Amino acid sequence: MDLLSDLWLGATTAFLPINLVYCFIGCLLGTAIGVLPGLGPTATIAMLLPITFGLPAESALIMLAGIFYGAQYGGSTTAILINLPGESSSVVTAIDGYQMARNGRAGAALATAALGSFFAGTVATVLLAAAAPPLAAIALKFGPAEYFSLMVLGLVASVALASGSLLKAIAMIVFGLLLGSIGTDVESGTPRYVFDVPQLYDGLNFVAVSMGIFGICEILRNLESEHERSVGVKKVTGLMLNRDDFRRIRGPVLRGTALGSLLGVLPGGGAMLASFAAYAMEKRMSPNRAEFGKGAIEGVAAPESANNAGAQTSFIPMLTLGIPGNPVMALMVGAMIIQGITPGPNVISDEPAMFWGMIVSMWSGNLMLVILNLPLIGLWVRMLTIPYHLLFPAIIGFCCIGAYSINNSVFDVFIMAIFSVIGFALSKLRFEPAPLLLGFILGPMLEENLRRAMLISQGDPSIFVRSPLSLSLLLGAIVVLVLVLSPSISRKRDEAFTE
Amino acid sequence: MLKIRNARDFAGGAAMIAISLLFIWFGRGLEVGNSFRMGPGYFPMMLSLLLIVIGASIIVQSLFVAAEDGDPEPANWKAYGLVIVAPVFFGLALSGLGLAPTMFAMIVAVGFASKYANWRQSILLATFMAVCSVLLFTRLLSLPVSAFGSWIPFLHAF
Repeated sequence: MDLLSDLWLGATTAFLPINLVYCFIGCLLGTAIGVLPGLGPTATIAMLLPITFGLPAESALIMLAGIFYGAQYGGSTTAILINLPGESSSVVTAIDGYQMARNGRAGAALATAALGSFFAGTVATVLLAAAAPPLAAIALKFGPAEYFSLMVLGLVASVALASGSLLKAIAMIVFGLLLGSIGTDVESGTPRYVFDVPQLYDGLNFVAVSMGIFGICEILRNLESEHERSVGVKKVTGLMLNRDDFRRIRGPVLRGTALGSLLGVLPGGGAMLASFAAYAMEKRMSPNRAEFGKGAIEGVAAPESANNAGAQTSFIPMLTLGIPGNPVMALMVGAMIIQGITPGPNVISDEPAMFWGMIVSMWSGNLMLVILNLPLIGLWVRMLTIPYHLLFPAIIGFCCIGAYSINNSVFDVFIMAIFSVIGFALSKLRFEPAPLLLGFILGPMLEENLRRAMLISQGDPSIFVRSPLSLSLLLGAIVVLVLVLSPSISRKRDEAFTE
Repeated sequence: MLKIRNARDFAGGAAMIAISLLFIWFGRGLEVGNSFRMGPGYFPMMLSLLLIVIGASIIVQSLFVAAEDGDPEPANWKAYGLVIVAPVFFGLALSGLGLAPTMFAMIVAVGFASKYANWRQSILLATFMAVCSVLLFTRLLSLPVSAFGSWIPFLHAF
């Protein structure tokens, strides 16, 4: 049994005391930022990336992964208790979760969210462990043409599933790809768009770019409509679920896990889409549909399982193909590059301890979250009383020093400031920043593979359709585009995002 | 008669075209080459042309599809200014003032981007952040930045 010995290797890595500590720190931090509205996993991971320079690769990635899935837990706690979703993926949980809390069943709702998430996390971990090696094996056979087509599919799919205008999302990808071309051209060694600035020869630093676009830009938007939070929470009692509850959540948890796992793998998918879709599905299928919106336990179980499953399976394309499907995964790719690991199908064979350690740590991290969160609810709620006007200066402080520490140079601080302005201007024009970051990360890889493929074919672009694999990937991209543009689907898509 | 029905998208499309023109202009010295032997300018040039097409399509769309009415967004120019200037100040002052005073001044100042800010809390938070960042970054992670820079005559030695 290869899988068992691999998992054993993972366990010996993940259960090292030092890695357990980093996993714990990641989960704790993740829950904290999940609780706090206005601070998301993307900005947090970007801020912490420079600190992970000094850590061993597996510890760094275990911690960063913990932040991501920990945030899904934290977001639901506040959604249920005070109708204030800390993360976008918990927005639908608030609908029924808060009603349950008002009916005096806050404990049951929290327990459902925790148990559903844990179950989904466990399933998704197994899925990840089982699916990753075969996928990577296929990817190893990829030539430059296949890689190029795969990245095109990934980029197209990521915009298809995002909200807002498709045309504008594609514009953001292209802008991101252009930004990625800044720096020294790998093939010829020619500097491009560097304006004789020595720091630009290595390209724009993506940590500085993402801190500007996600961290600082977020603050600008939050300060526009600032209001005091008043927090009043009753004491939470009755964490145990009764037999009837268990019967009612069984189906939704299973369906939510399945749907979430599926949507998580898709580029651009991940936790938010998964929770919306699972809630919508349950609302249609459940025998207790009349109760939805008035405190149905199914309305908590399904999206909470789905968002956790989606958060975890979104690691699959990143770990096996080196292609990030959402901004958090793009940052994880960056974290690997910082550690000297080239993301892609070789990661499993080159860095088995890190790869399997990370997977096993997701399971142990989920366990920690269940054990941790239920008793610590009081603490999380108290954290909400930290007013935003004390929080955002601290975030700016950490962003500045984080940007400085990337290369020990203030140049990256200025880059961060410039990109906060660019990101803010783009958000005012209703352009989504996420595709820009994906394009920026994938740009150099896309160009390299394009140029190699064209060298092999001696300038004949038909190489992309002659290989069956590459052709089917490109056809996949076209199908996705057609599907999104077709009126019935685009209507459903709007529904899913406005609901 | 064409008229702009969605001013936001019209501006957005124009911005995309402007960005591509910038990339084309500043990349004019780069060799484009041909599809067989692509020069360093090939990929950016193709992307810029693609972005012009997309930008033009967004503009065309804005002439026909009207904007949905959204809530008017309050602009908070004081906040924009402070939050954007803060990192710039940090970058300019860091080597001269050193980490502690730079962090302190920046946190106090940027706090007033919020309408709920008050002096007492801002100074407390700034002190806390200054002490923490010095301990964490200059002592623990030993970044090459001193707590007090050369512009501060007596404490500089620390």
